Amino acid sequence: MTPIDAASGAATTTAMSPWEPGGMALTVFALLVGAVVVVLLLLTRYVNPARTSPEKDRPYECGVIPTAGHGFRYPAPFALVAMAFLVFDVETAFLYAWAVSFEKLTPASFAGICVFIGVLLGSLWYLWQKGGLQWGAPVKR
Amino acid sequence: MGRAGEEMMRPPQPNAVDLAVDWCRANSLWPFFFGLSCCFVEEATAFTSRYDIARFGSEVFRGSPRQSDVLIVSGTIFKKVAPAVLRLYEQMAGPKWVISMGSCSNTGGMYDVYSVVQGVDQILPVDIYVPGCPPRPEALLHGLMALQERVKRERPLRPLLGLPGGVQGGRTEHLVDGVSKSMDTRGPGFAGSLARGTAAAPPHFEGNRSRLMWTPPAARIEVTQRDRTLAETLAERFGPGIEQQEPVSDMLTLSVPREKAHDVLAFLKTRPRSPYRRLEDVTAVDESARQSREGRPDFHLVYTLLNFREAARLRLKVPLAKDGPAPDSVTDLWESADWYEREVHDMFGVGFAGHKRLRPLIAPPNWPGHPLLKGHPRRATLMKPFTREDLPALEPVDALELLGRPLDDEEMLLNFGPHHYGTHGVMRYVLALHGETINAMDIEIGYHHRGVEKIAEHQHWHQFIPYTDRVDYLSGVANNLSYVMAVEQLAGIRVTDRAWAIRVMLCEFFRLSNHLLFYGTLVQDLGQMSAIFYSFREREMVLDIIETITGGRLHPSWLRLGGVAQDLPAGWKDMVDRFIKVFPARIKTYEALFKDNPIFEARTKGVTAVTREQAMDWGISGPNLRACGVDWDLRKKMPYGPYPSLNFDVPTGTTGDCHDRYLVRMEEMRQSLRIIEQIAADMPPGPVASPDSRYCLPDKARSLKDIESVIHHFVNVSRGPTMPRGECYHATEAPRGEQGYYVVSDGLTTPYRLHIRSPGYANVQAARFFTPGHTIPDLVATLASLDYILPDIDR
Repeated sequence: MTPIDAASGAATTTAMSPWEPGGMALTVFALLVGAVVVVLLLLTRYVNPARTSPEKDRPYECGVIPTAGHGFRYPAPFALVAMAFLVFDVETAFLYAWAVSFEKLTPASFAGICVFIGVLLGSLWYLWQKGGLQWGAPVKR
Repeated sequence: MGRAGEEMMRPPQPNAVDLAVDWCRANSLWPFFFGLSCCFVEEATAFTSRYDIARFGSEVFRGSPRQSDVLIVSGTIFKKVAPAVLRLYEQMAGPKWVISMGSCSNTGGMYDVYSVVQGVDQILPVDIYVPGCPPRPEALLHGLMALQERVKRERPLRPLLGLPGGVQGGRTEHLVDGVSKSMDTRGPGFAGSLARGTAAAPPHFEGNRSRLMWTPPAARIEVTQRDRTLAETLAERFGPGIEQQEPVSDMLTLSVPREKAHDVLAFLKTRPRSPYRRLEDVTAVDESARQSREGRPDFHLVYTLLNFREAARLRLKVPLAKDGPAPDSVTDLWESADWYEREVHDMFGVGFAGHKRLRPLIAPPNWPGHPLLKGHPRRATLMKPFTREDLPALEPVDALELLGRPLDDEEMLLNFGPHHYGTHGVMRYVLALHGETINAMDIEIGYHHRGVEKIAEHQHWHQFIPYTDRVDYLSGVANNLSYVMAVEQLAGIRVTDRAWAIRVMLCEFFRLSNHLLFYGTLVQDLGQMSAIFYSFREREMVLDIIETITGGRLHPSWLRLGGVAQDLPAGWKDMVDRFIKVFPARIKTYEALFKDNPIFEARTKGVTAVTREQAMDWGISGPNLRACGVDWDLRKKMPYGPYPSLNFDVPTGTTGDCHDRYLVRMEEMRQSLRIIEQIAADMPPGPVASPDSRYCLPDKARSLKDIESVIHHFVNVSRGPTMPRGECYHATEAPRGEQGYYVVSDGLTTPYRLHIRSPGYANVQAARFFTPGHTIPDLVATLASLDYILPDIDR
């Protein structure tokens, strides 16, 4: 934090020199970080050597051997919810950008965002009507 | 102690890096539990606020072997679950250490029986043993500290640098019987003497002295007029061969020929007025080792029925020949007969005609023979030592085989258990999932089969009491009560008023302790962490009272035939009064935590609701039955002891869903407190043990003074009293439901056959019927709300 001068509101200079971005310092820093990571990884590998066994490489499923395959098909609800989530997630991304710059924007942009939200609300309503928000599939006995 | 162990004794000169690594490892132990039984409860208690295991570098249990470096094996290791234990150990990342907690895990403990491994160190290396049965939480903390000391001396860098000494992680070798450990119960130098328990071993009962002791005949009850009429009706309707047995000690008993049994049962179940709705139990007795075989078949199949309306029970005995035709299955009448019949098939080899999937249920896979036959080996120490080579044959059965149908291409097969938090014990739910929805489910039990019914056949009548505590390890003396009442009713032993008051008070304390744990685990399973820490606070208060009175926490074994072990100690009343003062406010707090809590209600309301009719049919009992709106509590309907004179209400629910099961238990806590309050305020004076020295233990102090008491004390403690010939079933309202003991005596000092009708067995079996269609989170909530316990299911 740079101290603020109460009277003028400007940042006061301190005894420390201001930092100027420079390629050299960044490179040295990156190299140091890389070296520390490598040293740590090598050390753990060396101090505690890996011991693998077929049993250890097996997936853990409550202490029994997992069977019957894992390549099952995801039921629709998962995919639907994921899609819907993506759509409305993108919406929030736009909304944030729009909200933080709200003061500087024109009424036209307000109208624009209203249309944008309206379209998405419509699609949400459609999703709802089609049963896309129903969780779980009917049970087959 | 191996070479590595000796090296440990003389730690080599440390270097700085060694010290740093050892210090880091010792102070960041991440325990992972393989919790099987009672020990695990004490282990879990060590994680709560009073003991606070977090000081050792772990705030929570680790969920999988990948995240942990200390495996705490707590409880009994069963042959059926042993492959899973070893697999978990092998799936842990190194360096890793193992703590074996409790005498069962250390050596098999008191469970010297065919289904138990005599020490987990026979299959995986153990670094630290924590003794006790069960060890107190402090003992586990001490074990962890001992492990830390050990880790701090390991010097893992030395072997890497080629220096002598130092080890990398814990031990690596398991022990081998006859080489590095010995299972011989006789001790060194006694190889010529008879093995323990020979006097109770059929067919010869070598050295058994029961025949020298005279006993009066068994106590008998007069069969009511209503029962007599019923017996006559059946005899008229189904023709000859149906005989009423006289005398009886407990209920109307009819002998029914095999070919008529199914029809008689169907008639009894569907009688329009006062039907025998509930199939209380199905079991069998192997009659081949009787003192006199005269007029006895090879087996008796025993059906016990319950009539809700009349509060009456009825027993049907079906004689069977060894290789004769199989009796008809009654699964078409009671869905719940499925497990009962499978168990009889598993344990006795009796088949059932018309049973759809008569596959093994309890015994380990590929198990030779039928454990409850008289000729089957009893003690593990007399069998071939169990080694790692035996594990592959015992590998848990493939999940598809359990499911019993192929998967369709949108389904996924999931093993939920045997080793999982949500299963409340080692139990395996095989789920066919469509998304999160459970399409089909099967339950595999038997991972906790302690062979307690087999053990009973070679423990004398008093010796067996400590085993009952461990059947439902959270209900302590409530288990003792079911057992001693069955034996007392058989022998006609009178119990004094004061003994009764102490018994009931302790049982109600255990009900509180159990329900507090239920509350904590239920909400924890729903993902809410705090409550369990609160409820364990009161549970510790309860256990402190129990400990002051009995000296034990979980397993006091405090009841005796004819009374209790000792009188109440000075100061008990103050403790109880203090508890009565604080508890109502605490329970209010607990309810407030979850009252109208939207998450809690969404997870429990309407989940796996069970109707009254279903609950009665499936044999659900206890709070789970009352949650369905059935007003049925043995303390009121078939009262015993001082319950008729006590004021308390029986809470019932309406919908039988998870939420009601929770509410009923919360209210039961209040009622238990009322009972305790009344008893504590009005403790009757007098002796706490029956003067009936034929069966009961005389006062120890008196046995040091007069010869009569010495003789009876000595005989009844050493070889045990001789019980009259007969049979008796008695059930009590244990915290989890109706727990009944069926004891058969052949005039020996040991039970000829003992069978436990446990509440969890029926409650959990019913989960197979009502869970499909719900989701995995619902299953977790359901299992927690059913409040079952493994050793009482698998026995």
